[in-house]
Amino acid sequence: MASSSSIALPGQLLGPASKFQPGPGTHIHQSNLYSSLLGVVHISQPAKAPGPTKRLTKITPAPAPAELPTVSVSRSGVSEKREVLPEVGNTVLCRVIRITPRQAVVAILICGDTVLHAEWQGLIRVQDVRATEKDKVKIYESFRPGDIVRAEVISLGDQANFYLSTARNELGVLLATSEAGNNMFPVNWKEYQDPETGVSEPRKVARPY
Amino acid sequence: MATAQPLYVLPGDTIDPSLIPTHKKLPLRLGPGLRHIPPSAIVPTVAGQLVADHKKNSMWVEYNGGRYIPAPNDLVIGQIQRSAADFYFMNLTPFTSNATLPQLAFEGATKKNRPQLASGALVYARVVLANRHMDPELECVSSSTGKAEGLGPLTGGMAFDVSLGLARRLLMARSREEGKVEILELLGAEGLAFETAVGRNGKVWVGSDSAKTIILVGRALRETDDGKLDVDQQKKLAKRLIREMK
Repeated sequence: MASSSSIALPGQLLGPASKFQPGPGTHIHQSNLYSSLLGVVHISQPAKAPGPTKRLTKITPAPAPAELPTVSVSRSGVSEKREVLPEVGNTVLCRVIRITPRQAVVAILICGDTVLHAEWQGLIRVQDVRATEKDKVKIYESFRPGDIVRAEVISLGDQANFYLSTARNELGVLLATSEAGNNMFPVNWKEYQDPETGVSEPRKVARPY
Repeated sequence: MATAQPLYVLPGDTIDPSLIPTHKKLPLRLGPGLRHIPPSAIVPTVAGQLVADHKKNSMWVEYNGGRYIPAPNDLVIGQIQRSAADFYFMNLTPFTSNATLPQLAFEGATKKNRPQLASGALVYARVVLANRHMDPELECVSSSTGKAEGLGPLTGGMAFDVSLGLARRLLMARSREEGKVEILELLGAEGLAFETAVGRNGKVWVGSDSAKTIILVGRALRETDDGKLDVDQQKKLAKRLIREMK
């Protein structure tokens, strides 16, 4: 089947789930594929074509999911360019927006290597900051607003937030600014130092590669 | 001790290097109102009187600001706005975000045995954590000894608003010599029986058996504050108030 370029509305029926594999921009409801977005429908060919049936009397199973063509709906019209979303296990770079005694609210800026178009909000809970001595963690000594943090997504979370963790040596604060306004350099795993004033500030430092 | 004329500074003034105290062993400590700009400039950030202590090698600016900024280890009087799970939300100053007071940070409080405080109650607490980025946190028990040491809920009585400068002078260790405020001691010497708690956030709680005493002490504080009375005037004020009461 050639890739059609018809427009689909949200909620428009695209086909049965037995004939198509759902791709980005679609969802399944009662074994039918519906479009989730307003955009152009793309049908991509399956990885390998289903083999020919050898015998009429042989019972062959329904085509395996890898052999079905994938239907997707995308807004911009180009099938390769789609919204990158952080998945569980991805390493992301984020900026700390707000800290409270129990969590740090961050804005996820970069997922893997791609800069995200939209800013997703993430939460780093106090028990996910470090791997050891989790109950003695103080958020004020780990992050400050404005820090750039490398973190890992541990959960897709709820409507508002992803849940992130910095509980590994390579995760933590990458760039920090001191109270005096200067860029700071890491001294050890828990301190950054301002080169101009000499004052140290506590952070959860990411180990440089 | 200011032997010369007291020096008043404005924000941004340059300070004469001869006024900066020197000490053989201790490093110079800057208190509130001063800021160090590397390499060697010390600049005031508020308007007030520049005070230097040569024994402890420290200097700071005494100022009477209008806004209380919480600092760790300050004693404050807060009012409970509401209680959530594990925390009381306290109001230290009007129109600012609430400070949190853990329900377990009282003497003898356990998970089964929590203090029963209603919203609107006054509590005398110490500031544990205060910085620009987070809401302040309080405690009503000394974390090292586990004892209340005078902190906790304040029952009965009434809280009066005073200026931050008077609250600071009342809390000084030697309020008569350095703070020039003696009104509470004078009223006590005249025979009134009352107890007070002074909060650095500009609140003084007065408790007594007689409501007249509470109101009289409140009036005395208000007149000392508004009239900027010195020690002699405070003596006359105390005598006048006692006479009016009788």
